[in-house]
Amino acid sequence: MAKKEIAAAGASSKKLRTKELIYAGAFGALYIVLMLVIVLGTSMIPVLYLLAPITVGLVCGTVYLLCVLKVKKFGAALILGVLFALCACSNAWFSFVGAIAAALLAELVIKLGKYKSKMMYLLSFVAFNLNMACPYMMLSFARDSFLKRSVEYYGQEYADGIAKLAPTWIFFPILGFAVIGGILGALLANALIKKHFAKAGVV
Amino acid sequence: MNISVYGEDRGALVHFDPRTKFVIFLVSLAVSANSYNAAAHSIYCAVLCGMLFLCGKKWNAVKMSLLLGFAVYIRTCMEMQATGSTVIVTIISFLVTIFLYFFPMLVSLLIITQTTRVNQFLSAFQAMHIPTKIVIPIAVMFRFIPTVGEEWNGVRKAMAFRGMSLEPSAIIRHPVRTVEYILIPLLFSCISIMEELAAAALARGMDSSQQRTAYEPVRLKAYDYITIILFLTVGIWFFAAGLITGGAA
Repeated sequence: MAKKEIAAAGASSKKLRTKELIYAGAFGALYIVLMLVIVLGTSMIPVLYLLAPITVGLVCGTVYLLCVLKVKKFGAALILGVLFALCACSNAWFSFVGAIAAALLAELVIKLGKYKSKMMYLLSFVAFNLNMACPYMMLSFARDSFLKRSVEYYGQEYADGIAKLAPTWIFFPILGFAVIGGILGALLANALIKKHFAKAGVV
Repeated sequence: MNISVYGEDRGALVHFDPRTKFVIFLVSLAVSANSYNAAAHSIYCAVLCGMLFLCGKKWNAVKMSLLLGFAVYIRTCMEMQATGSTVIVTIISFLVTIFLYFFPMLVSLLIITQTTRVNQFLSAFQAMHIPTKIVIPIAVMFRFIPTVGEEWNGVRKAMAFRGMSLEPSAIIRHPVRTVEYILIPLLFSCISIMEELAAAALARGMDSSQQRTAYEPVRLKAYDYITIILFLTVGIWFFAAGLITGGAA
């Protein structure tokens, strides 16, 4: 029995096991709840709504890094990205595809580090956090329908505020914010993991 | 601990299949993102409350529909009158609209998380021959969202006990420190729950390669098919309307 189990574990050591699938799903729930809390809490003010990639990256970086460091295989970042896309990017198909592409890019970065290099894990969050820019894609690519909906949901003044703050090229600064948020989030996550989780032996 | 957080359908009037509920969740996401018509949106929200009622969370359904009625009432009043201080009107209308925006998503999440047990969810999707690699993360995510909320409340209470507040002023003055104070305990408790959950799932043979058998049969019935078709039609209608309005504007 024990031998069989070891053999099975050896054969599937590169693929995700059930335990890791459960970890990924649970971290996905954490990530989404935190992101929703932050976005809902800050979107009262249009400026903060546009800065959400930074605020979310800062907080959720730790969750992401704990997830990938705990699993250390292909798939953890991808599952997290798909769950994120399912909940946050369902408003337009190109946002959905973009978010999954960001997760795949993160997987690629981790793979370049051969699932060992800590530096690459930190870098991969910068790629992963690009998905926070994807819900904003419609600001550039489906601008009219987005502004129309803002009038419907938030009222004319809020929509005007958004329209004034966000010209068509706003998507590129937001991509920049996502990169900054990714870097800051990765740095903070590194510090927090070193200070708390490594000591406790979680990672 | 409130056991009913994790879903039970004993009081259900109609036992809907988990797949039906999942379709409702996806359609609700589409409706949230593509709705341009306030009346149609409100009707859809009311129908969702009815579904929640049928699924057995009667008291929650009544509460949600009262909230919905209140929000729609305030919105109509403000549209009719169009007077009053601009700042206050903007803030209130903002709160109302953000509530209405997330209402379909919220109620359909309640339908899934509060009235479906995880084992039903798993066996329903395995009956469709969807690989476990896709089903398990989604099922665990829905199971875990209420847990995160519960842990969040626990952390908040513990912080208040130690005299640390989560007020906006504290967050603005010490953003990083506040994040650390909230995030670290939350993550630690969630990780230990995750490990227990994984151990419990493995002990029940979740990673066995054999076909799972179900204690109670999960099967799509006639009313499931009718509901799925109705919701899909509504979802496609909203989506198409969104495309037309968006394109014409």
